[in-house]
Amino acid sequence: MAHNKKLTGMTSLILVALLFSGCGTRFFSGCPAPAPEPAQSVVAPEKPAAAVIKSFPVFELPMPQSEAEKSYLGLTGTGTFQITQIKAPVLLIEIFSFYCPYCQDSAPQVNEFYQLIQARPELKEKIKLIGIGSSNSSFEVNSFREKYQVPFPLFPDQKMEIFKMLGARGTPTFIGVRVNDQGLQEQFYLGEGAGAFQNTSQFLNEIIKLSGIKAEVK
Amino acid sequence: MKRRKRKLWDLLIRSFFMVILGVGAAYGQAGGFRDYIYPVDNLKPRDSVPRLKTGDRAPDFTLSAVAGGKISLGQYKGQKNVVISFVPAAWTPVCSDQWPGYNIAKDIFVKYDAILLGITVDNIPTLYSWTRQMVLNPRDKLWFPVLSDFYPHGAVAEKYGVLRSDGTSERALFVIDKKGIIRYIDVHDINQRPPLEDLVKALEEVSRP
Repeated sequence: MAHNKKLTGMTSLILVALLFSGCGTRFFSGCPAPAPEPAQSVVAPEKPAAAVIKSFPVFELPMPQSEAEKSYLGLTGTGTFQITQIKAPVLLIEIFSFYCPYCQDSAPQVNEFYQLIQARPELKEKIKLIGIGSSNSSFEVNSFREKYQVPFPLFPDQKMEIFKMLGARGTPTFIGVRVNDQGLQEQFYLGEGAGAFQNTSQFLNEIIKLSGIKAEVK
Repeated sequence: MKRRKRKLWDLLIRSFFMVILGVGAAYGQAGGFRDYIYPVDNLKPRDSVPRLKTGDRAPDFTLSAVAGGKISLGQYKGQKNVVISFVPAAWTPVCSDQWPGYNIAKDIFVKYDAILLGITVDNIPTLYSWTRQMVLNPRDKLWFPVLSDFYPHGAVAEKYGVLRSDGTSERALFVIDKKGIIRYIDVHDINQRPPLEDLVKALEEVSRP
C-alpha cells in the first residue's frame, strides 16, 4: 500500500516536471501579431504542433502575375482565385511578415523545404506551398520575395483578413491543409513559430505522416 | 539496505528534476526574446504639435550611437540623402518589427543613395539589448546607425516636433536631401507601421534629378 502511494506520488511529480519543462510541446518563438491587431499577450500559450483536424475556410487571393507560379498552383486567368482552386492534395501555407525577424531568419530553410519537395517527383504534385504576408502590402511581399529569392508564390494580406480568418496568433505560422474524402479542404496541421524548420527533412516527414498522403517517409 | 535504496531513489528523482527543468528553461529561452516585448494598448494616434514642414532646413543634431561614438546629421550633408526614423520606444510592438523590415531593405536605401538613422528616446544600454534581439543571425546585423535621444530627454524629437506628452516620440519618418532640406514628413499613426512603399516613393522623388 505504502509502495503504491510512493509510486503514485512519484508519477505525479514526474508529470508536473514534464509539464513545467515544456517537453513534448513546441514553444511559439515567432512574432506577435502586429498592429492594428488588438493588444494581446505576446507570450502565446503552448500548443502542440499538430492541431485537431478542422474545416478550412474558403478565401480569395490575387492571381499570381507570373505564369510559372500560376502553373505551379494549376491556375489560369486573371483577377482573383479561390483557395479551393489550387489543385493539390496537400497545401502548406506559411503566414509570414516582411517585418518579422523570425520569418527572415527561417526564409532560407523554407526555400530549402520547397526544393526538397520539388526534388521528389512523387511529391511535387501532391504538396504545394504558398506564403501569405500578414499586414504586408504587395510591395513588401515583393521585397521579401526578392530579398530571399523565394521560389514559391507569396500573397499580401495587408488588412490581416486571412490572418484573422485562419485564427493565426503571430508569424511565422504554418498551416497544413488537405483534401478529404468528400473533396473538401480541411486543416490537419498547425505549427507556430520558426521551430518547425530547424530540420526540413523531419518537417517534410511530419507533413507526409499527418496529411496521410501516400509517400515514403525518408 | 532499505535506507540505501531510498537514498538512491531520492538521488535519481532529484537528478531527473534538475535535467528536465534545465532542458525546459533552455528550450524556452531559445528564440524567445520576442516574449519580452511589452504589450501596449491602442494609443492616441498623434500626440505632438508639428514644428517643421517640407521645404524647411532640417535641424542639425548630434547623438550617441549604439555602435559607439557620436553621429551628426550634418556629416551627411552633400554626401547622402538621410531618412530619419523616429520610433516611440524600445521593447514595444510595431517598433520592434519596423526596423527589422528596414534592415532587409538596405538595397532600397542604397539605390537612392540614402542612409537611415534610427532614433528613439531610450538610453544606449536599452537600445543595445533591444537592437540585438532584432536580428537572430549575425549575418543580418543592423546596417544603419541607431541613435539615443535620451539626454537631454527627447531633445531631438522635440526639435522635430515629434515628442509626445508621455516622453516617447511619434512614429515618424523624415526624408532629408543632400542639401539638408526636409523633403518628406510622415508622422504616422503611432499604432501602425508606415508602408514601405510610401517611403520608397519619397526617396524616388528626392533622387529625381
